[in-house]
Amino acid sequence: MKAPAPNLELATSELALVNVNKSFPGVHALKNVSMRVGRGEIVGLIGENGAGKSTLMKILSGVYQPDTGEILIAGKRAVLLDSADANRKGVGMVFQEQSLLTNLTVGENIYLGNEAQFTRFGIVDWRKLYAAAARQLAKVALDVDPRMRAEDLDFASRQMVEIAKALTLEEGAGGHLVILLDEPTSVLERAEVDVLFARVRALRSRASFIFVSHRLDEVLDLSDRIYVMKDGAVVAELAAADADVPRLHHWMVGRSLQAEYYREPLQRPFKDEVVVEAKGLSYGQSYRDVSFKLRAGEILGIAGVIGSGREELTRTLVGFAPHDGGTLTVGGREERFTTPAEAVDRGIGYIPRERRVEGLVLFLPVAANITLADLGSLTRYGIIDTGEERRLATTWVERMNIRTPGIQTLCLNLSGGNQQKVVLAKWLNAKARVLILDHPTRGLDVGAKEEVYELVRAVTSEGVAVVLTSDTLEETIGLSHNVLVMRDGAITHRAEASRGAKPSQVDLIGHMV
Amino acid sequence: MPTDTTRAPAGATAPRARRWRIATWAPLAVLLLLCAIIAAINPNFLSFGNFVRITQSAMIPLVLGIGATFIILMGSIDLSVEGVLTAGAVILSVLALNGANDNDFGLLAVFAVLLVGAFIGFVNGLIHVKLRIPSFMTTLGTWFIGVGAANALLGGMATRINDPMIRGLAIERFLGFPWGVWLALGCFLIAIVIQNHTRFGRYLYALGGGEDLAALSGISVGRVRIAAFTLAGVFYAVGGILAAAQLGLGNAQIGNGRLFTTVTAVVVGGTALSGGQGGVVQTLVGVLIVVVLSNGMVLMGVPPSVQIGVQGLMIIAAVALSIDRGKSRLNK
Amino acid sequence: MAAFIGTVGLDRLRQWLPLATLVILVALIGALQPVFLQPATLLQLASDTAVLFILATGVTFVIMLGGIDLSIQSMASLASVVVALSISRLGYGAFPLALAVGAVAGLLSGLAHTRLRIPSFIATLAMGGVLFSTALVISGERSITLDTEARGYLTWITGAILGIPNVVLIGLVVLAVAHVLQAHTRFGRYSAAIGAGEPAAYASGVKVNRQKVFAYVLSAGFAALAGIILAGRLASGSPTLAAEMLLPSIAAVVVGGTAITGGVGSIWRTLVGALIISVVRIGMTFLGVNIFAQNIVFGAVLIAAVAITIDRSKIPIVK
Repeated sequence: MKAPAPNLELATSELALVNVNKSFPGVHALKNVSMRVGRGEIVGLIGENGAGKSTLMKILSGVYQPDTGEILIAGKRAVLLDSADANRKGVGMVFQEQSLLTNLTVGENIYLGNEAQFTRFGIVDWRKLYAAAARQLAKVALDVDPRMRAEDLDFASRQMVEIAKALTLEEGAGGHLVILLDEPTSVLERAEVDVLFARVRALRSRASFIFVSHRLDEVLDLSDRIYVMKDGAVVAELAAADADVPRLHHWMVGRSLQAEYYREPLQRPFKDEVVVEAKGLSYGQSYRDVSFKLRAGEILGIAGVIGSGREELTRTLVGFAPHDGGTLTVGGREERFTTPAEAVDRGIGYIPRERRVEGLVLFLPVAANITLADLGSLTRYGIIDTGEERRLATTWVERMNIRTPGIQTLCLNLSGGNQQKVVLAKWLNAKARVLILDHPTRGLDVGAKEEVYELVRAVTSEGVAVVLTSDTLEETIGLSHNVLVMRDGAITHRAEASRGAKPSQVDLIGHMV
Repeated sequence: MPTDTTRAPAGATAPRARRWRIATWAPLAVLLLLCAIIAAINPNFLSFGNFVRITQSAMIPLVLGIGATFIILMGSIDLSVEGVLTAGAVILSVLALNGANDNDFGLLAVFAVLLVGAFIGFVNGLIHVKLRIPSFMTTLGTWFIGVGAANALLGGMATRINDPMIRGLAIERFLGFPWGVWLALGCFLIAIVIQNHTRFGRYLYALGGGEDLAALSGISVGRVRIAAFTLAGVFYAVGGILAAAQLGLGNAQIGNGRLFTTVTAVVVGGTALSGGQGGVVQTLVGVLIVVVLSNGMVLMGVPPSVQIGVQGLMIIAAVALSIDRGKSRLNK
Repeated sequence: MAAFIGTVGLDRLRQWLPLATLVILVALIGALQPVFLQPATLLQLASDTAVLFILATGVTFVIMLGGIDLSIQSMASLASVVVALSISRLGYGAFPLALAVGAVAGLLSGLAHTRLRIPSFIATLAMGGVLFSTALVISGERSITLDTEARGYLTWITGAILGIPNVVLIGLVVLAVAHVLQAHTRFGRYSAAIGAGEPAAYASGVKVNRQKVFAYVLSAGFAALAGIILAGRLASGSPTLAAEMLLPSIAAVVVGGTAITGGVGSIWRTLVGALIISVVRIGMTFLGVNIFAQNIVFGAVLIAAVAITIDRSKIPIVK
């Protein structure tokens, strides 16, 4: 009977989750997740994109509520109603995206929402507040004038201010403060990371930490214990001393690729014609010296974590982020897209990550969305031929098996998978020669994903070229002909992913993190 | 959730900080330059009498501008300035000693007007927050209601104000300046205290700088918004009192064109329309720029009709120069 | 699923609300004052609504894109002044001139908004000031009455064909043209897309800036037309001729059911809205309501209409 030991552990934990489940429409994000953080511990949390880390963090910080399971704080059951409530109960979060208000000072940010303690008769005693802020900054050994505007600080200092802000929860937490660090190092230089880690270690006496990161070497460096998540479940819990990068890789991604799932048998060889060529492309600090050739009928996957530069590269191809170095050739002509309209004119279609915002106009009907990228062909003397539009829309709906009550149904009312098909239909209707797929199966259930894969295969067999940026390494490998791996703005590896000879994820992940 | 964040280039913060400093000092520089140019063309500009005239012209826009500043700092818009001012002026004119009826409520009338201003502002905020209607729509409606109520009350007529205390605001002087100017100054000082020394003031900036982040820090966004609109309403009501005192009467046209002047002053002064930047001191500078320009144009013989056009161009220039192009693509 | 159907049903209902309101109002007033339903009165109603409708039609295009135009009343007034001043010298040429001025003003507003990235409400508020100023200056700050000779050129506005006032016919022509523009052209489709989902429209290759500028040109152009007609009906031009018409115009658009956030709407809705405004106004007069109190009603109606038609799910943070 194992009962006594875990209970004792739970009772002495600062923070614990017990069998927490969380689902969203179509997706079971957290499956029976249990974890705990002990006093003064630094616990690392790793996993691929989509493994459930951010959902977990949101539950811990009160933004989401668990469907089932419990949260225990200092051994007692707790309900976190919202982020302010989580703060009051001793859970502080340092967000990945900078969450300081840049137009306020450091001191104001540290005590934002908590100025009451310095206020009398409605007037704030700023001197007292800034003195207290200075004390908080001393706790993290940050030598910065609390009267400085947050905007004037570099990112590393801002990170420390955020930790200082989290530390203000100390008193209210009654000594059980837990601070969640969400990818704190993604914007830091190496030297700054070392400083951050030194400060965090020094704070053990004041708080426990949960440290989420993609950078396995850093996680190993800082953490005492590490949890590995995969597909919504905790698949491993090990002491950092017992772990190394290969072992972590193995836990993170070890699974067999289901060739059938990605319709691998349908992966045809691509043609010789080069549709898009990049030579030495660069964009600010985001990526430098990127070169590749994309051929008709090819699916080129780009793998990389946050900060790798692949998101910006995608945006450059689509026209949102004109490159400032190198050349981009599309269909034999050199181009530099300053607006998406230019890219669309050259036959490039964007299937965006934010489908509901950038992919579709939700309040327009299916037919209008399908024809949106190519209304020119339907227009004579300025008037839209609605009869022809109806015919076209109906044809596409049938061809792609879009499930909708009718072509005049608002896209708002379609399921995610069918919405994605409408987006695809729009570009096929516009005779796009290159499709840029940005997280194309995000938020879709398994059935919808498979339909998307089939459509992608069908489309490429007709000569359309595809650039794929995906949520998961598995999907990238499964779908692509070739894979580019990026890290810190450069291409670190190129791998062929031919039918029947796919690389394993472990092969690639070493070049990503 | 993980989004892509690019590395901060080492020198990135310096240019941004520099830009901000330029933005805060530029309006003041413009004001001084303007004064210098006008004084060079017509030395009468620098006379004490002219200075008093300038403050007289500035007192109402300043008070209105203060109210508008609080709203704009949050990132919202308030089009109801004229409505509240007109309603306030008209109500004052029928409650205080006047030529149309036997009322003589004196100070009570003044308080009543302030209450009306607060009430209209409160309604603005309430509808905006609870019904989730964009502020420009809500305030567009109350603008109309305010002027309409004034019209209904007076039926297109004007009411002469005979109360010596109220008229005194415009006529009686203290140390050379009309009492109204001192009242406006008092409002300004109160506004500074509210803006810089209360939590509410900080929260206005927080809402303007990042409302979702502010909410995450536990700030009650709805309450701050409603309070801001209510407060603005009080300031507009003060403007109405001053306007009625200045004209010596209350009528339904007393507010015409004042929204335009108010927005010009706030924007030209350097308070960003997107919120989170600026403040009442900047608005004071903006009001002075607008008023000095008018005064200067009068001294140079430029007709008022042209001045309006000049103000329009000023708004465009001021906004165009202050817009942070790095911010979101979306521009409605 | 039940909730989903419920929402669709509510939406359906919401769509027909303005028209239903109009019908009920007319019936109500007709019941209380039967003379209201006589053809002569109704034609008069239509004539009086024409100018409002034309103004509102213009601004509908801007609102559908998600913007606002606060300069239409100044534009209309300026157009009336331009007509009044140039009619003796240019005859019929005064009208195209006024329209051209409108087009240029709209172009400038549109460019200020798209190129200088100034929010539409500020750009048009400022432009309104510039237009007002221009009107004041060129008119010498006075109203200009047209003499008998000049009035000769106005018969196309003041006359009637087969008993139907020309303004009503002009209004119908405007309705037809605007409807085609909005519902059957690429511009109309793009406008709806931009209003309802600008990021998606942009990513789909729509040249957003171009469409926006065109919408502002239309808005100012229709405002100029409205000003011309006003000049014709009142036989005079003045810088404040249309000053009171801004709010009723926007109210007409919103009350008709076009969402102030953009994307949803049509010219028919604006027609219904304009008629409602007119009917309420005339109806109130018939019923003896103080003309000045009417404005209070309008303000309240405006807020109520927006509250009902607005789609809150589209706005994450309401500023």
